[in-house]
Amino acid sequence: MTALLHLTLLGLKLNFRNRMAILYGYLFPLIFLVAFWAVYRGDPVPLALHVGQFLTVTILGSACFGLPTTIVSERERGVWRRYRLLPAPGWVFLTSVLLARAMLLVTAALLQLALAFAFGMPAPTHPLGLFAAFAMASFAFLGVGLVIAMLVDNVPAVQALGQCIFLPMLIIGGVAVRLESLPNWAQHVSLFAPARYAVEALQLSATGAGLSRAGFDLAALLLIGAAGAVAAGAMFRWDRAFIPRRAWLLLAVGMWVAVGVAAETRGRATVSAVSDTREVGTARDYVAAAPKPQTASASWKDVTQSDIDGIDFKRLPADEGIIAPLSRGDEAPDPAILPTLDRIRDAMPGWAPGTVSDPVQRARNLLGIAAVPDILQMEQVERFVPRLVFARLQAVIPPRDLPKILYWIALHPDDGSDAAMHQLDAFGLPDITGPTRPVRGRVMLYAFKLLGRLAGPLPNN
Amino acid sequence: MTKALTVAGLSRRHGAVQAVDGIAFEIAVGEVFGLLGANGAGKTTIIECVLGLVRPDAGSIHICGVDARADVQAARAKTGAVLQATELPDKITPREALEVFGAFYSQPLNSDALLDRFGLREKQDAAYESLSGGQKQRLALALVFVGDPQLLVLDEPTAGLDIQMRRELHDHIRDMKAAGRAVLLATHDMDEAAQLCDRIAVIAGGKIVAMGAPAELIGGSGHTLEDVILKLTGGVR
Repeated sequence: MTALLHLTLLGLKLNFRNRMAILYGYLFPLIFLVAFWAVYRGDPVPLALHVGQFLTVTILGSACFGLPTTIVSERERGVWRRYRLLPAPGWVFLTSVLLARAMLLVTAALLQLALAFAFGMPAPTHPLGLFAAFAMASFAFLGVGLVIAMLVDNVPAVQALGQCIFLPMLIIGGVAVRLESLPNWAQHVSLFAPARYAVEALQLSATGAGLSRAGFDLAALLLIGAAGAVAAGAMFRWDRAFIPRRAWLLLAVGMWVAVGVAAETRGRATVSAVSDTREVGTARDYVAAAPKPQTASASWKDVTQSDIDGIDFKRLPADEGIIAPLSRGDEAPDPAILPTLDRIRDAMPGWAPGTVSDPVQRARNLLGIAAVPDILQMEQVERFVPRLVFARLQAVIPPRDLPKILYWIALHPDDGSDAAMHQLDAFGLPDITGPTRPVRGRVMLYAFKLLGRLAGPLPNN
Repeated sequence: MTKALTVAGLSRRHGAVQAVDGIAFEIAVGEVFGLLGANGAGKTTIIECVLGLVRPDAGSIHICGVDARADVQAARAKTGAVLQATELPDKITPREALEVFGAFYSQPLNSDALLDRFGLREKQDAAYESLSGGQKQRLALALVFVGDPQLLVLDEPTAGLDIQMRRELHDHIRDMKAAGRAVLLATHDMDEAAQLCDRIAVIAGGKIVAMGAPAELIGGSGHTLEDVILKLTGGVR
């Protein structure tokens, strides 16, 4: 154990003395992060929707290049031949390399996250889940890195084979290019790329429902990592003069295929967007008759039943859809998200923007709470939070005023203040620091949806 | 009395070549034993078998009573070795190397004492890549000693060294012998073998063709050790 600790610390020290290792290990991940920020800085919540991607890039780079380069260059020079004379089995040396690499990966990821926070990215919704997903993704790809290290004889070959894995992962693994923007056939092919499962598991922890929804992803990463580790262990060689038992490569590659086939048979190929900031139209799109001139109703108090009757609620997005989803009244949430929902419910009474004196702004602020989980596609959470918001609105706004206020908000989505969207941390939700237009669109839709239930046209089940 | 090394019936085939064929010898505590032979005679394969780097096809190896084939780690804990073509990481310092390597042994020797003993004190914090060839070889030796081995295995240790370093190495081997340690020395340097070894095994074609003290091998022939060995191994003089 002492030897393992010494070797691991030595590996870390040697890494920090190597300029190229620092460059590849730390600078490149930060460059990738800045690139993601530059491309997606227009998101309402900066970088939050790309956590899975930029962390997976870091893991991939370290596994495809950093780890095998370290092992192969030392083996090429006879360092491992010297280590072999020490009274310890090979796994001690391999484990020390993996531990040192894992620590480098964690620190690189923390640096990325720190910079992302500086860019305005909110804290992940499931930090522990994110750590667990990161650990599992690292395990999977470091296993792949070990296989590369055992297969090739020299550093140029590491670069060549590493690129053969790295680049396809970026393109069809959902790392650099979002899966939902790939053609259907490519989404099917991506099931055979482990990066896809890493991105999904990480993103679910960053903005989604957490690891409770990532069971398949985690199992896939675990199996791929275990197969890689076993294959690499069987092909292990202290000296380049030994020929690795390449038949074991079939185990590592076979597991990728097996996972892909399992995913395909479960119908996991088609990807729904992890975020949706698409335009939701304007209020006029949902009003059957042309609304009265603005002057006719200059205040929410002037809204009449005939105004409300002019809304065509059938045009609203379906409750089961991606935009502005809503759970059924009799539907029970997944127990895994109950703590999240409880926190939001408990925090609402004390949330200052939810108690402002202007009832329209108060309602607008509360509806905003439902909009953020929808934009971030937080799976179950996004469907149940609107129910909590509706209940709160009914508790804090008189019944006779609420329909008028909801109508007013729905017809005037661009009015009022956005300030409350920067105070969502009380609910464990990310603040909106980017454009608020998508949020206002969701506020409008949820105002319509609650109004439809209060006014009667929509079933309040 | 327990022998430092006992090898019996050792055989190893590399493809179609019988690299080692039924080798048997013993090394007593405090003895320097030489393996002499031409390149490809089988010396390195014997050493690799002794160190557990190559699995023999047949035979047994015991190091200080430990069955090296059954418990290779316990055997390595009693052994220190310098092999050809081994290196250390570029950025490691001599002190770090001694401390990390020492962590593998239950009672490692003091790093400071080894730095002084092998003349590395001034370079203790220098990167390995910045050391001269002689300094690297000193460090390699210091690392062999860090575990206070009972058996020292040296494969062509003076290859490529200048005269001063060769003498220095010879002194260290004599010190080991004086300290009651055993040494297995593979070399094709006849003078070196004659100066250092208590006994020599002459290897040819994977077999021991002669074994004994240098004086016994020479006998009263009036020839040099080199002449005798060339004759034994089929070389021409």
